[in-house]
Amino acid sequence: MNLRVLASTMAVQMKNSFARPGIRMCLLIAPVANTILLYYMFQHSGRADFGMYVVLGAGLTSLWETIIFSSMGDINRERWNGTLCLLFGMPTPYPLILLGKIIGNTVMAFAALVLSYAAAYILFGITLTVNSAWLLIAALLLSGVSFVVVSQFTAYALTLSRKIVIYMNCLNFPIFLLCGFAFPIETLPSWALPLSYALPPTWAVRMLRMCFAPAIDLALYGQYALILLGELALFGLMARLLYRAVDTQVRVHATLEVF
Amino acid sequence: MNAIRRFFQQAFLYYKEQYIHFSFGEILGFKMFLPVFILLYYCMAARYGFNAPPLTRWVIGNSFLLCTYQCLFSLGYTFSSERYGGRLRTLIVAPRHKLVIAAEKSFFMIFEGLVTSAFGLLCGSLIFGISFAGVNMLLFVTVLLSGMIAAMGFGLFLSAFGLISDSLPFVLNVVYAAMLILCGANFPIGDLPAPARILSYMLPLTRSIEGANMLFGSVDTGRFLSLVAQELGVGAIYAVLGYVTLKICEKVAIKRAAFEMF
Repeated sequence: MNLRVLASTMAVQMKNSFARPGIRMCLLIAPVANTILLYYMFQHSGRADFGMYVVLGAGLTSLWETIIFSSMGDINRERWNGTLCLLFGMPTPYPLILLGKIIGNTVMAFAALVLSYAAAYILFGITLTVNSAWLLIAALLLSGVSFVVVSQFTAYALTLSRKIVIYMNCLNFPIFLLCGFAFPIETLPSWALPLSYALPPTWAVRMLRMCFAPAIDLALYGQYALILLGELALFGLMARLLYRAVDTQVRVHATLEVF
Repeated sequence: MNAIRRFFQQAFLYYKEQYIHFSFGEILGFKMFLPVFILLYYCMAARYGFNAPPLTRWVIGNSFLLCTYQCLFSLGYTFSSERYGGRLRTLIVAPRHKLVIAAEKSFFMIFEGLVTSAFGLLCGSLIFGISFAGVNMLLFVTVLLSGMIAAMGFGLFLSAFGLISDSLPFVLNVVYAAMLILCGANFPIGDLPAPARILSYMLPLTRSIEGANMLFGSVDTGRFLSLVAQELGVGAIYAVLGYVTLKICEKVAIKRAAFEMF
């Protein structure tokens, strides 16, 4: 039953999201535009692996934008349409519906990575060599899970807010910076590094980059995976606690339709 | 006199309407600190991509681009936002000139854009240690204003399409992405292929960014004045185009009668 709800929510979510011009921009135009911008910015770096930074940087920024604008924006849209309280009150648990929406967005958003690579290859002849397909698949899966968990946490945090538009915009560039989507986090000031380390996508990005390096350090890959899994468990737990608090607030104040 | 008072009253109401349900802290965070993060992102990317160069040109270029949030998006959404609010039909039949409505909606945004750009520049300069010593501030403000005027003209031109299309958010975001690439804020325009360079000089801000960068090095007064004049010319061309497009789109919108369709 739960899996059927999850699958149908995902399918409806992907259809609805793709119908919106804003998401088509994030999904189809932004990866190409970001690839062009980062290529011209990084081509003089003299680094042999700059192509990987272009593809992953452009792809991951577009991917996060798609997830955040769709997942956060959807709560806002449900509120505007007057359906948020229905979602909350129906027998199917609200977290399950939200999870379906976020997974749907995340699956769809991975197209941004493919498009970035296609744009880099067609426009600039950039090719990437994968040192282990299995490790890349594992890194991609863990990246997806990390984006889902962080999105779900923020979605719970913003369920009560009537000002989601502002907050979802504020979750963009700070995350790009702190998680090192386009450049290594070591270029950040040292005081910002603990913040970076506390975010699961930082480790997922590191694992992805390792898959395109000439040689892979398996011990380090495993270490990053363990840290990532630990942080995901922690975020998952925090999201659960947060949901309980939000659920109580929703029922006590009954203001899901109030603007 | 009454018309002028009404203009300012309306302009203030439109501005207030945008922020009425936000606290001062939220507005400050969204309008001032988020732009600083955007500036930081591109400057850090430049530091990595260009092997730690002095970041003066990136701080200037990107702080100039920050005003596009107001000049391009706020002005561009003039009619598009009314469509979502269901008021486009009322606006279209109102005797008031649509250009005046656009001017009312964007009036306070000009100042906000100026403040955002100046704040971005200040923060960028402090963070990356950029010195303004020896920079002629009068010329700097002149070039910043000329860039903003050109961007406003461009925003006005794009806003007209909000009367006939519900896809303006898509269009505005594509234009913004193009400006990030083509305006010379993040890498030299000379790196672009020749056709793209032509596009660069058709966009606002390209010349003002070049002029502002010039102020931090050796200033060729003739070239500088020419850049400012050209930038104002670009703004004027877009404003005229905007006026004509507004008239055409108004007619098309009335004929189609599809203001509430998505």
